[in-house]
Amino acid sequence: MTFLSDVWYVAWRELVIFVRTPVRIIMVVIQPLIWLGLMGNMMQGFAKSPMVGQMLGTGNYLTFMTPGIILMTVLFGGAFSGMSIVWDRRMGYLEKLLAAPISRAAIPFGKAFAAAIQAGVQVLLIVLIATALGVRFATGPLGLLVILLIAMCFSLILSSFSLSLAARIKSHETLMAIVNFFTMPLMFTSNALFPIEAMPGWLATIARYNPVTYAVTAIRQLTLSGWDWLAIASSLGILAGLTIAVLTLSRFLFQRATAD
Amino acid sequence: MATMIQIEELVKVYKGGIRAVDGVSFDVEEQEIFGFLGPNGAGKSTTIKCVIGLLRPTSGRILIRGTDVRQSPKLVKPMMGYASQETAVDDRLTGWQNLFLQGHFFHLARKEIDERGEEVLRLCGLWERRNDSAGTYSGGMLKRLDIAAALIHQPSVLFLDEPTLGLDVQTRKVIWQYIEKLRSEQKMTIFLTTHYMEEADALCDRLAIIDRGKIMANGKPGALKADIGGDIVTARFVAPEEKVSRLVQALSALPETVSVTPMGDGLQRIVARQRGDRLIPEVFALAAKNEVGVESIRLHRPSLDDVYLHFTGREMRDEQGSREEIGKARMTQRRLRR
Repeated sequence: MTFLSDVWYVAWRELVIFVRTPVRIIMVVIQPLIWLGLMGNMMQGFAKSPMVGQMLGTGNYLTFMTPGIILMTVLFGGAFSGMSIVWDRRMGYLEKLLAAPISRAAIPFGKAFAAAIQAGVQVLLIVLIATALGVRFATGPLGLLVILLIAMCFSLILSSFSLSLAARIKSHETLMAIVNFFTMPLMFTSNALFPIEAMPGWLATIARYNPVTYAVTAIRQLTLSGWDWLAIASSLGILAGLTIAVLTLSRFLFQRATAD
Repeated sequence: MATMIQIEELVKVYKGGIRAVDGVSFDVEEQEIFGFLGPNGAGKSTTIKCVIGLLRPTSGRILIRGTDVRQSPKLVKPMMGYASQETAVDDRLTGWQNLFLQGHFFHLARKEIDERGEEVLRLCGLWERRNDSAGTYSGGMLKRLDIAAALIHQPSVLFLDEPTLGLDVQTRKVIWQYIEKLRSEQKMTIFLTTHYMEEADALCDRLAIIDRGKIMANGKPGALKADIGGDIVTARFVAPEEKVSRLVQALSALPETVSVTPMGDGLQRIVARQRGDRLIPEVFALAAKNEVGVESIRLHRPSLDDVYLHFTGREMRDEQGSREEIGKARMTQRRLRR
């Protein structure tokens, strides 16, 4: 119980800061709007071609793209959550947390949890905007709930990974460099914005092993075609496994992270 | 009086092989304000961090009220409050939110946080501003908020690492008043580090001087200062060397002088037994008699530099910190100086 309370209050701090930063909230709304509005519109002509439509699985590029945008937003949001540790360390706040009788693991868990909640809010906003732009989700409200779950799970993976890095990395610059090194390729070697069928063979191979692809595939399935239990279960299984692995890693690293 | 903190032969060697703390032993009594005096990089913060469990000591033993810190951290942590050098207040939260979080991190019940939070905020004079963002606080207020947060769980000993670093003189005095109040009203033991002699002088019942990880002196401030002597007169003489040394001899023979030390560059440091202002005319008289010109003369009260010089035989200097430490120090100063 105390562990859950520790996690919650670490998360509470992040969430209060998030709510108290209006610019960040505005950006969270505007960014998907731009992506969906601009990119979706730009690519619409391309999706009209019947061959492309077949690869995409829909004649509406926006519908194809929405799951990609969801994942992209979650990916970038989660990837930078390690920055808050670097910041806390600089501010001396990390020491304050370590000097308190809380469980060390509550620090990364709480921050990852906060990142997942923020990701959930962002995904809901994207869904609203997409719906307003004419995207229809094949599986309805229940499907949206599963989409939300997948997105938040993915956010936990990314943020825990980023937080694990931050347990060791002490400068903003280094962490930024490493995070950027990972996020962009993760994004562009997945099927988030481009169907695997249209990729050259080598890229398609990478894409198949990219965790982003697992999440996108499941969300896209739910968005475009409906319930395919096998596909969804296998995606969810892999994501859940990854989540547990990365959470365990962050727990291990923070347990050892005294101020040594 | 009972012993609050007992440190025995504490050694901390960092990964790079730096011996930050090298065999430090001392006791802190209950309800005492104990000062740890030394330049940056002397091992003050490292010692504190070992005591509160942020660092693993390489060897040695630390007891809080007889309980070993390494063996029972869960037991000992609630007994200690810590306000770090960096003023670890989240200035994106309100004053109250900072306290609220700290209370929960120490597993207090909601009711306790409400009651105790009000008490410590009133004590630190921040109750009226509790719902303002800490980002709008002045440097002194941030420091007070940090101290208030360290008090929320009613620790029996409070660790203040450089509580007035980067604050202006008036604010520093206000913080001193609050620290005094904590001792008198809350019956708290206070362990503070500082590199300001005036601070140690104004606040501490006892202090230890630390240099390069070793304790050089330990005692009441009055006694330590008495060891140095009284005022200090620094004079620069211009004359051939043998004339100056004759003058130095004559000065040393005066009943009012404790010692005369050459500081290089023609400077001589004369420690007076008591009042330096009485010594100055005699310096001039003797200089004239020995045909030595006086280029400059300065009178001052013993400072940390003098205590240092006395106990370590060297001038005080700041050790070069790591890049991260320097960054932290700069950031603290920026935050506090607005």
